[in-house]
Amino acid sequence: MTSEFRRIGVDEVSLLIDEMFSSRRDEIEQSVPELAPVWTSDVSRAVAQTLAAYKESGIETCILTLASVYAEFDLSDTLQFHRAHQQPVTRVLDGKGLLDFWVVKVDGISEVADIFASLQGLQASSYIVSGYVRRLEHLRDLRCLVVDSLTSRCRMRPQGFEVRPGVWLAEGAQVHRRARIVAPAFLGSATKIEEQCLITRCSNVESNSQVDFGTVVEDSSVLSNSYIGMGLDLTHSVVDGSRLLNLRRDVTLEIKDPGLIGPNKSSGMDANSRSLLSFGMDSISARRERRSFNSETESTYSLL
Amino acid sequence: MSVSRPVVVMQLPEEFNAETSQAFCKEIEPLLEAHRPRIVLDCSLVRSIDGAGVEMLLHCLEEAMKRDGDLKLCCLSAQSEVVLELLRVDRVFEIFASAEEGVRSFNALPVDVIPQDAPWYSAVFGELGVLKQAS
Repeated sequence: MTSEFRRIGVDEVSLLIDEMFSSRRDEIEQSVPELAPVWTSDVSRAVAQTLAAYKESGIETCILTLASVYAEFDLSDTLQFHRAHQQPVTRVLDGKGLLDFWVVKVDGISEVADIFASLQGLQASSYIVSGYVRRLEHLRDLRCLVVDSLTSRCRMRPQGFEVRPGVWLAEGAQVHRRARIVAPAFLGSATKIEEQCLITRCSNVESNSQVDFGTVVEDSSVLSNSYIGMGLDLTHSVVDGSRLLNLRRDVTLEIKDPGLIGPNKSSGMDANSRSLLSFGMDSISARRERRSFNSETESTYSLL
Repeated sequence: MSVSRPVVVMQLPEEFNAETSQAFCKEIEPLLEAHRPRIVLDCSLVRSIDGAGVEMLLHCLEEAMKRDGDLKLCCLSAQSEVVLELLRVDRVFEIFASAEEGVRSFNALPVDVIPQDAPWYSAVFGELGVLKQAS
């Protein structure tokens, strides 16, 4: 997203993050090294203060968005639309309704406690997007985004190498030669897939996770630093440490048996340190190197 | 004369793990030692079940089947069903929505009304002899 802002000539990018995510602070900050995120307990007030600072530094127009939506549209066209309509606010919407995306004339905004309520009250023009939009309100939506990404329904791609058509591996992923990865699938960095495992149907195993002997991961997302035990059938689910969300039954379970599912202790990472997805839109073409894996000449694990 | 054996319905504890499953095993053991045990385990109280609990269920099923009986489950919560699916044992057990259905399922095929000395196909082809005579 930041690179997209830079591409259309945005001068200043601010990232405001609620302190409720502070347990993932290091990971978040490492994922956006070009920005210095501001951690706040009151996002709305922090947004108002940032807009006030922009106003003081002579910035006229601001793009304001929340991380509750993934949308693909032409930002420069949105800005042009905003300038042409000369309204204080431009709201972006798709066929299903409003998106958490505003283009704001900074001098029309006063520093108020609830900036989002204040934006609602201003006269706004509507910019309708026709591109790919996915609202991220539930883990189910995240799973849909992964499926759409792996099936090329959107521009987002896994951050790794496409080693076979539809099979993506990140740096350091280890796949036992007797394990099967059936496209489309993605294995994040430092993941370990043991013997006789099967990873398939748009599944993604995120960084530092391990899938143990003989387990099938089908139509599921294993979030980072998770351990999936031996001989299991993980289907239509999202696993985050010891939490399992079964999407078909809409049931969330806290698995207390670490032999089944739990934080991956062998990864050497902090159990609380998790990122959601290793997917993005930057340098895709550079990453589309094909590398062979699972060949007979390699050792038990293929190391990338 | 054939006597229909009763179907025993037992309730599983709220937490069915390594500890509670041992105690449960002692409770169910005498039932499993009977000839052709017919057991329905009511899981309506179960809030959590782990690998050891599922192991115990499989052990009980195995023991029941060794003695020509069966062990069925009923009233599983969605959470318990997910755990059984995860451990690939959801297809091993017959699962019913209620204890009544589970009990009724044992009587679906009236095995006891078939005389034990008659051949196994007599219930299906019982009319064959009559037809043969008629021809």
